[in-house]
Amino acid sequence: MERIPGSGVRSGNCRDNKQEISVEIFQIGEEIRRLMTENLLQEAPRPETGSSFTALLGLPENQAMELLNSPESYDSPAILTADIWRERGKDQKTLSYPFNCSPTFPSNAALVERAARFSIFAAAQNSPQTSSVPSNSSENSLKLKNETTDSESNPTILNKNQISLKRKERQKKGLAKKSKNMGDESSKLPYVHVRARRGHATDSHSLAERARREKINARMKLLQELVPGCSKISGTALVLDEIINHVQSLQREVEFLSMRLAAVNSRIDFNLDSLLAAESGSLTDGNFPGMVMPSMWPDVPVNGTRRQQHHNQHQQLWHVDVGRDNHNFISQPNSLFSYDSTN
Amino acid sequence: MASSLISNPVENSDRSRESKKKKKKIQNQNQNQNQKQTRWKTKFEQQIYSSKLLDALRHVHRNPSSAASSDTPLRGRAVREAADRALAVAAKGRTRWSRAILTNRLKLRFKKHKKQRVTVTGNSRSKKPGVSILRLKGKKLPALQRRVRVLGRLVPGCRELSFPVLLEEATDYIPALEMQVRAMTALAELLTSADAGSGAAC
Repeated sequence: MERIPGSGVRSGNCRDNKQEISVEIFQIGEEIRRLMTENLLQEAPRPETGSSFTALLGLPENQAMELLNSPESYDSPAILTADIWRERGKDQKTLSYPFNCSPTFPSNAALVERAARFSIFAAAQNSPQTSSVPSNSSENSLKLKNETTDSESNPTILNKNQISLKRKERQKKGLAKKSKNMGDESSKLPYVHVRARRGHATDSHSLAERARREKINARMKLLQELVPGCSKISGTALVLDEIINHVQSLQREVEFLSMRLAAVNSRIDFNLDSLLAAESGSLTDGNFPGMVMPSMWPDVPVNGTRRQQHHNQHQQLWHVDVGRDNHNFISQPNSLFSYDSTN
Repeated sequence: MASSLISNPVENSDRSRESKKKKKKIQNQNQNQNQKQTRWKTKFEQQIYSSKLLDALRHVHRNPSSAASSDTPLRGRAVREAADRALAVAAKGRTRWSRAILTNRLKLRFKKHKKQRVTVTGNSRSKKPGVSILRLKGKKLPALQRRVRVLGRLVPGCRELSFPVLLEEATDYIPALEMQVRAMTALAELLTSADAGSGAAC
């Protein structure tokens, strides 16, 4: 059995091999197609010259156009040939080529599957031709070898085949993109209700980016409302500047106030309770507790070295004094004291 | 009386602002954000915080060993830390910065002598080398990045957070700071007035 010249190239680049093999596949496929359709279908007359490559040029495009309308894949000639190759036992060796190159041409396995489907389809279409297919295959093998020798001698036509191949790939990618769009939208629907418009990126990465950006923008808007004078400013960097200034100024104020409190506190020990009681109370009652409390203070420092007693006494003071005042404020200090004692 | 005069206008403005904001927010956002937005603005919260702060201040004065009693700057720092801790407690530990404040003190206590310096320098070194390199070059490319880092340093415990989370923390931290300032000013006013009052009485 003659070895197909493609095998010699196998040692070389796998991708070139793949192209040559697909070219061979096309060639065979076109041969088969021609044989099958000659009798039944009356297609447009193809120039059936000695070199079958022009025929190959004509038919693949036609096939592609037909298949573009259907969502199925496009490689019908390849499908047919793959099917035929599978049927033929002694072509196992050559069939191994696509499988060897499967890493680079991953759709080969898919092609084989589609070949099965399409062959069935084709068989349904052309029932009398099915019997002729195996018989044609033997002829095709011979013709394949002839064509491969021809292919080697005609690199220009080979290029044309490659170009048609590329065109098909592009078309396939177009299809794939459309299906991917649908897939993306439908897959994203339960998670993010995003309808990608025409011209907008529908890549999953850009969708995620967009969601992330929207999150950030929402939070920035909240911050802008918080910080005074930020809503007029546009641009994230300037807004961030304003926010930073605001936080710094607030922290500086806290620093000054704490110094002030420290200075004040050194003089008076916890006259604050009375003042707080005054704060929570009403206007008219403000003075009265204020005057009552300091008189009770001398008792406190004597006994109040221990925290527990301190707490108890303060609680008593709260109860005594705060009858007029807001009751919710009463409850808070007690709970706070209990909380702090656990600290 | 002065105290009530001071507190009441604050009250009124707070309450009116609070009611306005509540109406807006209910229309726009979730209930969760509602609570978050107005959480630090209520007078109620401020009172809670004030009493907590009082207790903390009391503690500071009770134990002068923790800070130098006569040195005002040290005591001022102690007061500041106490105020921050009280604020973190008032936040009920729901936010990162509050938890960071509360745990920082524990860390400092344990690592006081030796490692305090290391943590300081470690924090500055924890910046990405890319930022320092760019500073050397003088490029302004990651202008946003730089600002994000600065903000991360300002908000306690938010140094190496992602940008959206950092924004969220800042959204809670800023009203908390504002409330802290309001409460402390009120306290300081009260104290100084009481001081003056008692001084005059005596």
